[in-house]
Amino acid sequence: METIKNYLEAMFANLPRTPEVIKAKDELWQMMEDKYNELREEGRSENEAVGVVISEFGNLDELAETLGLEKAVEESHELMELEPRRQLTMDEVRDFLHAQMARGTMMGIGVMFCIACPIWVILLGDTILEGIGVLLLLVQVALAVGMFVFASNRHARWKYIYKEPCSIDYATADYVASEKERYNLGLKGQRTMGILLCALCWVPAMLFDTIGLAKLSVMDNIVAVLLLLMVGFGVFFIINSSIVRASFEKILKLNDEKTMSSQFVDAQKGLYENPRLNNLMSVYWPTVTCIYLSYSFLTFNWGSSWLIWPIAGIAHSVIKKNMGSVKQA
Amino acid sequence: MVEISSDVIRGYNDTMILYILRKAPSYGYEISKQIKQLSDGKYVIKETTLYSAFTRMEKNGYIESFTAAPEADGGGKRRTYYRITGNGQQYYKEKCEEWNLTKEVVEHFITAEE
Repeated sequence: METIKNYLEAMFANLPRTPEVIKAKDELWQMMEDKYNELREEGRSENEAVGVVISEFGNLDELAETLGLEKAVEESHELMELEPRRQLTMDEVRDFLHAQMARGTMMGIGVMFCIACPIWVILLGDTILEGIGVLLLLVQVALAVGMFVFASNRHARWKYIYKEPCSIDYATADYVASEKERYNLGLKGQRTMGILLCALCWVPAMLFDTIGLAKLSVMDNIVAVLLLLMVGFGVFFIINSSIVRASFEKILKLNDEKTMSSQFVDAQKGLYENPRLNNLMSVYWPTVTCIYLSYSFLTFNWGSSWLIWPIAGIAHSVIKKNMGSVKQA
Repeated sequence: MVEISSDVIRGYNDTMILYILRKAPSYGYEISKQIKQLSDGKYVIKETTLYSAFTRMEKNGYIESFTAAPEADGGGKRRTYYRITGNGQQYYKEKCEEWNLTKEVVEHFITAEE
């Protein structure tokens, strides 16, 4: 049955996505499904049934004529020759998704290192180890930068997925959609956890204050460290989950929006996004990191500069929600 | 074995479909199955041919489509059904007359001799 579905989807993949074509595909699918089921009930083997259904399907040129699609079919042939879409294999897509998961972890850890780097200075600040504290801070920032550079170098391998027109077949689309579904709960959990950690970062301070420990000056430092760690981990979860989610969505919307192949996955609404905004958003997090580091180093106001992260996070989702998706034609 | 050329049969796919729809409204696979049975398995209509015929005849007003679930298997899946219209009945009769004439004419030129 899966073979028949793949066959039909592949036949229709390059046709324009119009109501007539969608209706034709649905109805042809109905007939093929009926025929397949009956052949199976008659006791034919899976392979035999699939063979019969596919051999008796006919050809699309005949259909194109009736649907008034000759021009569209011709154009899609021409387009394929002029601007061939790179067909990604299932293995390639699987590698890409795994690479993106690793990248999410690295970028997340990198940003977390940046946010948490002042803890050494805070902890060792007024002791003879102050120098070591500063050193550790610099080492940690260097590590973070190293991770950013490493992650983007490795990411460069996949540049073609972002730059060239690519496409995926039905089976791959189906696989990615089910993977996305499988990770969905985990990603949502991470995101919620991240937001909670950022939102509740002031709780230790309040608790310490209530139980009267705030009088000890060392407690101030511990509160600050806890706060930075909570924000750091929170941001890690948010970044990691959004990179992984974005990689699923990137693959699912590779196919040309105007053709039937964009229908491989149900519930595609909102997946196709404003390309201009996407370009803008690709520099969003690096810019925020830049602002954070320069502001913090210039003013040494580490106590409040971390606030940029939760604010940037909320601003990010607001921008995406409001301007992200283009209206479907 | 001789097979029917699709060029020859093309003009009469409509006739076969209308013949079946004259008895009762029906849906894609059911119609193709009946065509196969009534022709003793000698003609199997392709899915794309069948759908093209539906679209063309609907556009010309010979048939109408509607969505329904078959009563037989309770809660069966919803399908697109077709029913014949008044115009379709008229068209069917014309096609029958046309075929009788065609058959008569072509018959004169057919021989069993080697």
